[in-house]
Amino acid sequence: PSAEPAVAAAFDFKGYMLEKAVAVNSALDAAVPLAHPKRIHEAMRYSLLAGGKRVRPVLCLAACDVAGGRESQAMPAAVAVEMIHTMSLIHDDLPCMDDDDLRRGRPSCHRAFDEATAVLAGDALLALAFGHLSDLTCYPADGSVSPDQIVRAVGELARCVGAEGLVAGQVADLEATGLGTPVNQEQLEFIHLHKTAVLLEASVVIGAIVGGASDDQIERLRKYARCIGLLFQVVDDILDVTKSSEELGKTAGKDLASDKTTYPKLLGLEKSREFAEELLKESRSQLSGFDAIKIAPLVHLADYIAYRQK
Amino acid sequence: ASSPAAAFDLRGYWTSLISEIETALDVAIPVRFPQRIHQAMRHAVLSGSAKRAPPVMCVAACELVGGHRSAAFPAACALEMVHAASLVHDDLPCMDAADLRRGRPSTHALFGVGMAVLAGDALFPLAFQHIVTCTPSPDPVPPSAVPRVLTEIARAVGSTGMAAGQFLDLSGATAASEEEVLVVLEKKFGEMAECSAVCGGLLGGASDDEVEALRRYGRAVGVLYQLVDDVIMESNGGAGKMRSNASVVRAVGMDRALEMVEVIRAKAKKELENFRDKYGNKVLPLYSFVDYAVERGFEFEVEGAANGGNVDGNS
Repeated sequence: PSAEPAVAAAFDFKGYMLEKAVAVNSALDAAVPLAHPKRIHEAMRYSLLAGGKRVRPVLCLAACDVAGGRESQAMPAAVAVEMIHTMSLIHDDLPCMDDDDLRRGRPSCHRAFDEATAVLAGDALLALAFGHLSDLTCYPADGSVSPDQIVRAVGELARCVGAEGLVAGQVADLEATGLGTPVNQEQLEFIHLHKTAVLLEASVVIGAIVGGASDDQIERLRKYARCIGLLFQVVDDILDVTKSSEELGKTAGKDLASDKTTYPKLLGLEKSREFAEELLKESRSQLSGFDAIKIAPLVHLADYIAYRQK
Repeated sequence: ASSPAAAFDLRGYWTSLISEIETALDVAIPVRFPQRIHQAMRHAVLSGSAKRAPPVMCVAACELVGGHRSAAFPAACALEMVHAASLVHDDLPCMDAADLRRGRPSTHALFGVGMAVLAGDALFPLAFQHIVTCTPSPDPVPPSAVPRVLTEIARAVGSTGMAAGQFLDLSGATAASEEEVLVVLEKKFGEMAECSAVCGGLLGGASDDEVEALRRYGRAVGVLYQLVDDVIMESNGGAGKMRSNASVVRAVGMDRALEMVEVIRAKAKKELENFRDKYGNKVLPLYSFVDYAVERGFEFEVEGAANGGNVDGNS
């Protein structure tokens, strides 16, 4: 036991992320074949396979591992959360929403294709996410994931992405942007908890569910995910004012130029950084009861989210 | 010989189901914070003049194979939610640019384009959540039925189903061949009906063979219904509602279209033969659906639904 901290410190996070991203990318590639009609599948693949760190699917796989499950048990869930993330970006970028031409350093989906295709590609990814997560044939044949676990995971994902989750965040964001008056910290936290944190929460929680976690473990992992979700957004806001478009691969300074409330605007840069530190500390404390070696990916993912440069 | 459907009061069966479905949908979409999105979702789903054909077919298929109505009801409502979500997005300015839907302002016309995109995005997951939360389990529904139903619905609305149909319709199948126009009808309208029959069967405990027969039956009825809509519209000199740019009559001519109607009608009824042998008169609701799709023997006047849903949730 005395060797544990040393083992955790020696954890090769970069190697872990790369290895998992390769596995996730290959599962995503296989999940969206170029079927008829080709153009809509091209649009889905264009946005889905555009790269990115695959933070959500990796969180999902890592949570499954912490719960004692195997990677094959969580891969359908990992694929599903990345599909949901991608569809929300596609719809978010539309002219009627954030009207963004650039995403991950390339033209956004409606710019590379057209608006109608982008709406349909997003809808199709949303459907495919649930189709993949609920499909009994996507899971190991040994019955290590039961229909009940699958149904519970679907319910969790649906709640997290619907009108009380992800969409609620987007609505609140849409309404706040139109107002021209700054929102307060409570409203800002509502937006971020729903727009960003809720999908990280779903990723971790459904990974834990299919991995066989107990209810108590699921709730602790849920709290961990909420902390790093909010952390993600605070850091995003900080990066928007401190980095260039080239460095970020998306339009920088956009929040500053618009009426959009951000943590740096609300708290100042220094206080925003302190808030980020608090969230990081809280996320770690939620992991304290788990196996010290198995939590290494989740600990490092939190650090990564806190200290990333883009 | 007299038609077996003559003995069955489809109108009564359908009408009573519609009011049950309206009530369940009203409860399933309460107005919560943020209110506007829930109001937009209610506007999209609770439109009073809807025929609710997908949920009625779902319930009828479940009851046919011996299932209890309560097993299929959450899925039936979910079908209406994903159906509404598709229509909200189909109506958007970047797609069909329709400001009216069933005689009322479409969702984006009333709530704005951004909110309409989000209302559709929220109705899909709500449908899945509704099935998971409300379907009685494990009794009388077998454990694997719910995931299979979820997979079916996801496939039906997805990139090879209804989204494909809308995409092909938009990209100009108008002047296409018979085969291409039929593909649009199958994807845009057949998928929903197919999925409805299959889900009902799965939740009622149908065997694999029965599920596949229901699949073929549902697809045929969905296409048949739209084909007849097409014929009726062209007979009226092109007047009437446009549900698709892909007109079969314009692609193949009226004579061929009428011929196709009879072929598909016979095919749909043939799929029900084994059910009739096994379940007797319980096949009548699905059987009479086929004739209704062609003959449109009655209108709907549903009490309490005529004014449409109350978007504020005070109904």
